[in-house]
Amino acid sequence: MPMFLREASLKRHTVLDLLFRNLTRVSAFGVLILLAAIIGSLLVGSMPAIHTFGFGFLTSSDWDPVNDKFGALIPIVGTLVTSAIALLIAIPVSFGIAIFLTELSPRILRRPLGVAIELLAGIPSIIYGMWGLFVFAPLFADHVEPWLNDHIGTMPYIGPLFSGPPMGIGMLAAGIILAIMVIPFIASVMRDVFEVVPTLLKESAYGLGATTWEVMWKVVLPYTKIGVVGGIMLGLGRALGETMAVTFVIGNSHELSKSLLMPGNSIASALANEFTEAYGELYTSALIELGLILFFITFVVLSLARYMLYKLGQREGQVS
Amino acid sequence: MTAENIANPKITVPKIIVRDLNFYYGDYRALKDINLSIAEKMVTAFIGPSGCGKSTLLRTFNRMYQLYPKQKAAGEILLDGENILDKKQDLNMLRAKIGMVFQKPTPFPMSIYDNIAFGVKLYESLSKNDMDERVEWALRKAALWTEAKDKLKQSGTSLSGGQQQRLCIARAIAVKPQVLLLDEPTSALDPISTAHIEKLIDELKEDFTIVIVTHNMQQAARVSDFTAYMYLGDLIEFGDTSTVFTNPKRKETEDYITGRFG
Amino acid sequence: MLSLYTRRRIINAVGLAISILAMAFGLFWLCWILWTLLEHGLPALAPVVFAQMTPPPGSSGGLLNAIAGSLMMTLVGTLIGTPIGILAGTYLAEFGQRGWLAPITRFINDVLLSAPSIVIGLFVYEVYVVHIKHFSGWAGALALSIIVIPIVIRTTENMLRLVPTTLREAAAALGAPQWKIINFVTLRAARAGIITGVMLAIARISGETAPLLFTALNNQFWNSNMNQPMANLPVVIFQFAMSPYEDWQKLAWAGALLITLSVLTLNILARVLFRQKAASH
Repeated sequence: MPMFLREASLKRHTVLDLLFRNLTRVSAFGVLILLAAIIGSLLVGSMPAIHTFGFGFLTSSDWDPVNDKFGALIPIVGTLVTSAIALLIAIPVSFGIAIFLTELSPRILRRPLGVAIELLAGIPSIIYGMWGLFVFAPLFADHVEPWLNDHIGTMPYIGPLFSGPPMGIGMLAAGIILAIMVIPFIASVMRDVFEVVPTLLKESAYGLGATTWEVMWKVVLPYTKIGVVGGIMLGLGRALGETMAVTFVIGNSHELSKSLLMPGNSIASALANEFTEAYGELYTSALIELGLILFFITFVVLSLARYMLYKLGQREGQVS
Repeated sequence: MTAENIANPKITVPKIIVRDLNFYYGDYRALKDINLSIAEKMVTAFIGPSGCGKSTLLRTFNRMYQLYPKQKAAGEILLDGENILDKKQDLNMLRAKIGMVFQKPTPFPMSIYDNIAFGVKLYESLSKNDMDERVEWALRKAALWTEAKDKLKQSGTSLSGGQQQRLCIARAIAVKPQVLLLDEPTSALDPISTAHIEKLIDELKEDFTIVIVTHNMQQAARVSDFTAYMYLGDLIEFGDTSTVFTNPKRKETEDYITGRFG
Repeated sequence: MLSLYTRRRIINAVGLAISILAMAFGLFWLCWILWTLLEHGLPALAPVVFAQMTPPPGSSGGLLNAIAGSLMMTLVGTLIGTPIGILAGTYLAEFGQRGWLAPITRFINDVLLSAPSIVIGLFVYEVYVVHIKHFSGWAGALALSIIVIPIVIRTTENMLRLVPTTLREAAAALGAPQWKIINFVTLRAARAGIITGVMLAIARISGETAPLLFTALNNQFWNSNMNQPMANLPVVIFQFAMSPYEDWQKLAWAGALLITLSVLTLNILARVLFRQKAASH
């Protein structure tokens, strides 16, 4: 074959190789730039508020646009409380679902049920919010909250958490809706990590006469502990940053209340409700600083989650 | 391993000469001072228990190991007198000269025709007619033409395992390489397909220098002219296939061949 | 011995019963939400919904401009995000064995994958909307594309890693340069999986509300100019659902049903497509 042709195509290939590799590298690098740009722009945007309020922003419960006094305490507390409620409900339920899907479900149902749970994760959050506002909150106010008032609201210590007017909307309702939203995320991570447990390990335990429950609780769970925690953190990250589902039902009140039945606010819903209507530099800047705080918290939580899931993956790599 | 321990066969026209070749996976030395020659237009077989380094040695001939970090070779491999381990050696050019067929069939996710044209198009710009002829030539050489001529537009993955492997052979020879490396080419195939491929190897050596790695001693005895027995990264014995199999010079070789080992 | 064994059996039975209850609990919400959507959405889903613009307060109308705006911004967002995502994912899978860039990018990308989408909206507002001084469809599409990128990166890398290394070696053994191997062999082999990922990304962004609030905002009228504020289903649903007007709420339910149906259809289609492709290999 003609040699000059080969030389020409070789040169072309070398150039194209270089081009292509650098194109992909630049794209990958773009992800880092994106992160830096997000953090940078939020920092710049929140500078006026940081200058004016300093660290006091984090501990102040003021939210007074008229007098330009802002503090992040209420939205931060609201975000953490609703997420905590969500996890409290979602963890045991997700664990149950994951056990069901990996061990109990009849083989034919395994896939459709798994898909159904994943579909629950696919429903847009605004739908959860709407459903929460129009369907869930009224039922909650009529049937659940009065009961909570009468039975738990009278108890010492935790009583005040559950007393107050049954309005339906509030922190507790937001937390429950968040729980429904994060259950599919946590359950599918748990199912995935349960599935990496070597069959041999499970069979050895069954071979000793262990029950399904014992195999899950004493073999599978310890083996996948770190991945399970990673999945929970992933769900927490979702819950913390969730906007629309919470905005509809949390009540958007900038008042600190002891009761979970009272309206509150979360960072994301404060942003969603007030940002486009914010007037004045300081108001906008305070909202952006809220966004920065939210990004920081979720970043830490999600980093921990990923780190734990990588750990599990790495150990898996060593075992096999 | 010293050179006098190896029965040096009479190779009049060496295509490839390996000198003091060492190979490392990170710190692990997988090949130890290998010296041997590959005869032109003959079949040379590498045999030995798994992990002995036979595939590693084969993969140094087209520097396939360079796809992976931490793998490196030291020494010399001369192809027609030129050291292919030299840094200046262009890898793609080298691989265009040295074809390779793998353990499992690896049809690309494209039509049978495109599978074969893929390699050819890399370095030659042929007219449609010439390309058609080349595809037919390669498929005929690989004894696949009669089975595939009516479904050239179908996906390569639609063929049976044995046919896929012959497609891979056709793809490798379509670029008209000088050397053909076969890495356990029949280990994933049924006996009938294996027989097909062995017959093919016999015909292909008229045009190509062939190096085959196999874990199947009978196969080495059937298809090769020269055989190298390797063990734990050492080349234990190298010679005419008939000599190695009927009258091995070394006890280790005899033990392996007679089945007392591995 | 027997009592211990009995106790273990009881614990097992209780545990498993609870797990079945948990599964039922999960499905219960799915069914309830879907039922509500059908109950309120179907009666509201009249032909005018597709024929008229969003109405002013207190009167009736449709969602045509919002549907069109959503489609346009989702399309543009996908078109911007997908190529970048595929390229970066390719880097992680094919060139990422050496160096520091790949592991860090992989980690950051996994974090961005579940970062709060409202912050993305805030980011686009800060870097784009503030400078052009008005909300716009481009800003909305940009925010959506930032959500698409991490999803596509993740699936591209995962799918490329599923391609057997022997396929890469076989192409390399022919003397193919790396750009050819990747573009014509490995990416092609991973195509079905990557398309699935893109479809899931589209499903995800077509329901996203939070990042559009500060970027595209809304527009009561028909608008095909991406440089103007743009109506879109999620924000219209948000505004209409929160409003006191019954006509608006009805439209919100119709929009909610539309969005959910399309998102779920995309999800299911993506899975079916992927399974078919996976089965044929």
